[in-house]
Amino acid sequence: MNIGGLLYGAKLLDIVEFPRAEVLGPEAKDHEIKGLIERCGEVFIKPNFPGGIGKKGKAGLVGRAKDLKTALREKERLYFATHQVGNNVYKSNGVTFEGAVPAEHEVYCAISDSTRFRAPTLTLTHVGGMDIEELPKDKVVHIPFDPLTGLKSFVITNALSELNAPRQIISPLAQNLPKLWDLFHHHGMTTLELNPIRMSQKRPGALTPVACDFKCGFDRDDPRVKRLHLPNDLFSVDYSGFEQEINQLRTYQGQSDVSVINPNGTILAPTFGGGANSLVTEFLGDDAIISSDFGGNPPYEKMRDVMRICLKHWLKQSNVLFIIGGKANNTDIFVTFRAMADALREYFSAHGPTPLYVVIGRGGPNLSRGLLVFKDVLEALGLPYRIFAFDSSMTDVVRYAQTADRWMKGGGRALLAKKLGVAP
Amino acid sequence: MNAQDQFKHFFVGINSLEEIATREDRVCVLNILGNESRTVSPVSHSYSGGNVVFGTSPGRKGEVLETAVGSIPVYNNVREGMEAGHRFNVGVVYLPPAAVRDGVFELLRINTEITKVFILTEKVSVHDAREIRALAQQRRVDVFGANCLGVADAWTHVRIGGALGGDNPEETLKKGSVAIYSNSGNFTTTIASYLVSGGWGTTTSISSGKDLYIHYGPAEFVFAMDNDARTKAAVMYIEPGGYYEQHLNITKPMVACVVGRWKAKLTRAIGHAGAMAGSGDNAIAKEEWFQETFGVDGLYTPEHPIVSKRGAVVSNIAHIPAALTAVMKLNGIEPDFASEGDLTLKPWFGSNQGLSLPAELDVPLVEPIAPYRQQIADLSRQVGTAFPREPMKDRSGSSIMDAKTQVTRVSGVSILDTARYPLESNYFLALLHEHNDDNDNALCNTAIAAKVDLHGDPIAGIADVVRASGSSPNTVLSAACAAMGPGRVEGARAAADVLIDLFGHSGLHGGDQVGFDFSAIHPTQAQRETLIGSTPDAKANAMLAGLVVRRAHSVFIEYLKHLGGHPKADAVLAAITTTIGWHALMRKKITRTTARNLPWYLRLFSTILGASVPAVRHEPDRFCGVPHADLIGHWSATEIAYLALLGEEPTLEKRFPFQVLLGLIISNGVGTISAQGAKGAVSADGPETPTRVQINKAMIGFMTHTGFAHGGNGYEGVQFLIDQFSASGLKDAGDPHHGIDLAAMSKQFALAFAAEKKARKGVGDEVRNIPGINHPVFKGQPINKDPREVYLSGLFKERGEINVFHDFYSTLVQSLFDNGVTANVFCVNIDAVIAALLLKLLWPRYCSGDFRADAMETAAFTAFLFGRMVGCAGEIDDHINRGRNMDTRTPASQCTFVS
Repeated sequence: MNIGGLLYGAKLLDIVEFPRAEVLGPEAKDHEIKGLIERCGEVFIKPNFPGGIGKKGKAGLVGRAKDLKTALREKERLYFATHQVGNNVYKSNGVTFEGAVPAEHEVYCAISDSTRFRAPTLTLTHVGGMDIEELPKDKVVHIPFDPLTGLKSFVITNALSELNAPRQIISPLAQNLPKLWDLFHHHGMTTLELNPIRMSQKRPGALTPVACDFKCGFDRDDPRVKRLHLPNDLFSVDYSGFEQEINQLRTYQGQSDVSVINPNGTILAPTFGGGANSLVTEFLGDDAIISSDFGGNPPYEKMRDVMRICLKHWLKQSNVLFIIGGKANNTDIFVTFRAMADALREYFSAHGPTPLYVVIGRGGPNLSRGLLVFKDVLEALGLPYRIFAFDSSMTDVVRYAQTADRWMKGGGRALLAKKLGVAP
Repeated sequence: MNAQDQFKHFFVGINSLEEIATREDRVCVLNILGNESRTVSPVSHSYSGGNVVFGTSPGRKGEVLETAVGSIPVYNNVREGMEAGHRFNVGVVYLPPAAVRDGVFELLRINTEITKVFILTEKVSVHDAREIRALAQQRRVDVFGANCLGVADAWTHVRIGGALGGDNPEETLKKGSVAIYSNSGNFTTTIASYLVSGGWGTTTSISSGKDLYIHYGPAEFVFAMDNDARTKAAVMYIEPGGYYEQHLNITKPMVACVVGRWKAKLTRAIGHAGAMAGSGDNAIAKEEWFQETFGVDGLYTPEHPIVSKRGAVVSNIAHIPAALTAVMKLNGIEPDFASEGDLTLKPWFGSNQGLSLPAELDVPLVEPIAPYRQQIADLSRQVGTAFPREPMKDRSGSSIMDAKTQVTRVSGVSILDTARYPLESNYFLALLHEHNDDNDNALCNTAIAAKVDLHGDPIAGIADVVRASGSSPNTVLSAACAAMGPGRVEGARAAADVLIDLFGHSGLHGGDQVGFDFSAIHPTQAQRETLIGSTPDAKANAMLAGLVVRRAHSVFIEYLKHLGGHPKADAVLAAITTTIGWHALMRKKITRTTARNLPWYLRLFSTILGASVPAVRHEPDRFCGVPHADLIGHWSATEIAYLALLGEEPTLEKRFPFQVLLGLIISNGVGTISAQGAKGAVSADGPETPTRVQINKAMIGFMTHTGFAHGGNGYEGVQFLIDQFSASGLKDAGDPHHGIDLAAMSKQFALAFAAEKKARKGVGDEVRNIPGINHPVFKGQPINKDPREVYLSGLFKERGEINVFHDFYSTLVQSLFDNGVTANVFCVNIDAVIAALLLKLLWPRYCSGDFRADAMETAAFTAFLFGRMVGCAGEIDDHINRGRNMDTRTPASQCTFVS
């Protein structure tokens, strides 16, 4: 849940009255763009990527224009631009026009929670406008502060003194940067980064910090984010239809964290526990369709719904249904297994049989009843299976599931399909 | 060195792992009666010798949490508990995430003696974690979590917060020399269990949680480990994200398990909120930190056992025991005890389903370890399933209504589909979660028909007395049910038990199996006497004859015949119900309790149909004029219901709409008053002792929770239609050439209604509703449709059936809009469909003067009871099998006084 750019950033900064560059959205009329150029002398044209993707400038994805014709040409170039970051390719949908802010000084400022200090921490440098990682250590300060009192002016002045920052920027920053704490802390943010803040000389002798770019990340477990009334679909691009369906069942008790790893995978692995998730995701790699944590002792109805959605989306393509978790502390194995077994049985009733090898590995409360209930259903459905308990190594069970997948791919699926009387 | 000297920049109170979970610790649990806590806290409390002094749960002061070592008192808040004289130094927080911060603040501000807080809650916002950290630091309190599973000490036998070791901590937490620190709660227990297999026991096990803020971090852990003489080594399980493990001052041997290299490809956290890495804190970076500390140049694997005296790094938790043993060997330290078991692949269950699997997949099955071996053996002997018991107030495993479509599903089948099935098939759907097949229906129809005539049975007289007193149909049928108590079905239930005992492990899969070999089934004398009498039983013989006529198959009926002698009527009834339920019982879809109660449900079915008819129509040899032999040999329960209600044999054309009518009303979800009445009656009898629950009383609960407003209101729609059509000259509501101008009739009504509405509004009176139109959910569109009505219209159209009353409703809603009475086209709702169906059936008799208005109302109400009996039987059975004693009560805190 990230936001990048001033299109929404401007609205957020306005909440705390932090000065920012003028910005127009993709719907801006020609005369509005022209007016912006006239007022600012120059505009930057930036593509809108969902979720706040960085390093657009380096990728040549920031245009600049001093006349309308150039601005419109850049708009056309960047409107549906694509940008590769790591393995992911992002596609833009629209552009923003941001007024240039002439300035002598550029500042980088970020607030985030540091695991080193275990406190909210201000990262600041007066050598802004570039990647923070590329700066020498003595040009950047990381200052933890007390969240109960917040980011105070003295924290800023101390930090700038430590940096030997030019004295004319100290007072305006000390006056304005504390506003960011209100935006950060009271609206569910986990990171807030302004880079660059350009120190504009709007009035002779007085500098004003003007945010010229904006990035923030939200805590999806924090209801304060709702205070911002951001459009519902702003973050929905992050989620597939399957994930959104599962997310509707998400509660504070967890129980339904899921992410699609490989929509063409062949092992459907409902996983229980964050640790098991890490391990299974690690070992299954691209074979897995989803990465999930359904632990946290979900009640029967919820577990059945989660499983029903998983099966609806993925069972047809799956070679192996792999239900895996460690030795549960609190999750009732009988309740969760009965729910999953019922969902599987209902799927077969509604859609007919599908060739499937079932591998299960689990331990925890009510284990015997839980394993037996699944065994009975698998026998009734006529599926090949192995059920392991906590006295088998989890990683060996993962390997076993992979072996089953390979066998299914290598002709086992066809054999099983024939036995079940269905198409492979 | 103490913690204060070690940690210059932040507060740490714990000097040694020994101080984390001690016998002296006294605990207060916030939200102790919450779902998770009320399961987990009693185990922790008992394991620790009773360390919880009290818990809080707002509005539930005075309640207690029962445990094996005594009950834990509950107060509204911490202050009340302390005012009652309790003292504690440890707070455990099970609150929902939005309340966690305030809960921790409450603990810190109210109790100056607090030294440790454990937060179990998952998904605490980063915002709140920041403030918790800051205030706890200010107050000099150690916090564990959040999103952790607490701590446990195998030496002191103390577990605080969470559920390390599950419901049987002794099995996993064996006393030894290894401390565990794990980002994963589940893996804390799993690793402890793996260590046991390698001969290593534990000292203190800590589930740290893996949120962005880890309040008790690895630095604190290694410091406390250094000061703990019991701990000779440690295992750390670490996930990506955060710099907590960088620059650790590790002084004792350690195995670090770092997992999550692949996770770098994910774009968001799954499960553990803090397990997302940036550029410098991913799994590879963390592996390197540990490798540098231990002085090793790679990961330990069995093939490449890279270890040093200081430690080893693994990425597979299964390698932890071997890596630890190798490290400790270099330190000259042997395992704590002989290894218990091993971690090789040992499937407890499996099947190749006749396929030829490669050797690596065809792993032979092994016997489960103790105590699971015995549990599984016992459970395998159990016939039928068992549902976990839980509070079932406003919850149901039988029905659910979709809030969007308002369509209820019973046993997973939509009422739109149950409308296609006969009443008897739906009755068993509710009880067995699957529809009857033709053989099942032949069996149950025989049994129902054999018991529907109440001639000579006091029930008929009782019903007549109540009827004559002017009571409503539900009251009459309640009185009849009251006389169908457990004593009446004792013999049949005992017979069902005998059959289940005899055949439960015989390999019989279907009750209708032909040619089953009885040679291995040997009843005891007592069992035989339960089934077979010394003299002929007329009722039994009548049923057996009916079954022959219907060509019904039953293994159990064949078995009774095979035994020789004279089968008892109770045994025949039990054989019939056991045949129907056998498939579901063997597939563990139902419990044994349900199977042995089936005769009772069937007797109640017969009684309700029978008692709806005055005693005078119950004759020695015929019911409502139909000879018994005919009834038992040929009639379906649906037809008998029609006969009881309308006094005539239904034609094929009439049977289908009647079946649809009953199928539609079997349930409207668990929230209906009728379902609540049934469930309340079960709850009050105490379902935890299922043999004591009176199913007839539960049926009464359903009946008494219907009335003129619920169930009887179907008549409003009928009355409305009668008002419109009484002067129309209509003879047959199914005649396509009825000759009535419905548009004109609708317009006339719409204009009259508009005038009435205006007049009423003028004097401030409430405008009356038109029965059968509009719906609180299906409204607000230009043209509104109730999807249930749309479906049924389509169904009747498909069959070419005409219903002038239904058509009138469709015309009426348009006319009301066209004439400005409604703002849009209201929907025709499901009640209108029911009224139209019922009136179509009754219309000829209404026209002939046979049925007066009060008889029409009785018929409408009784039809509702016949249908709803099905859904309520399902709710009753579900609550008996899943519910807890008195679970439908409303806590006093949620009740209000109105003056």
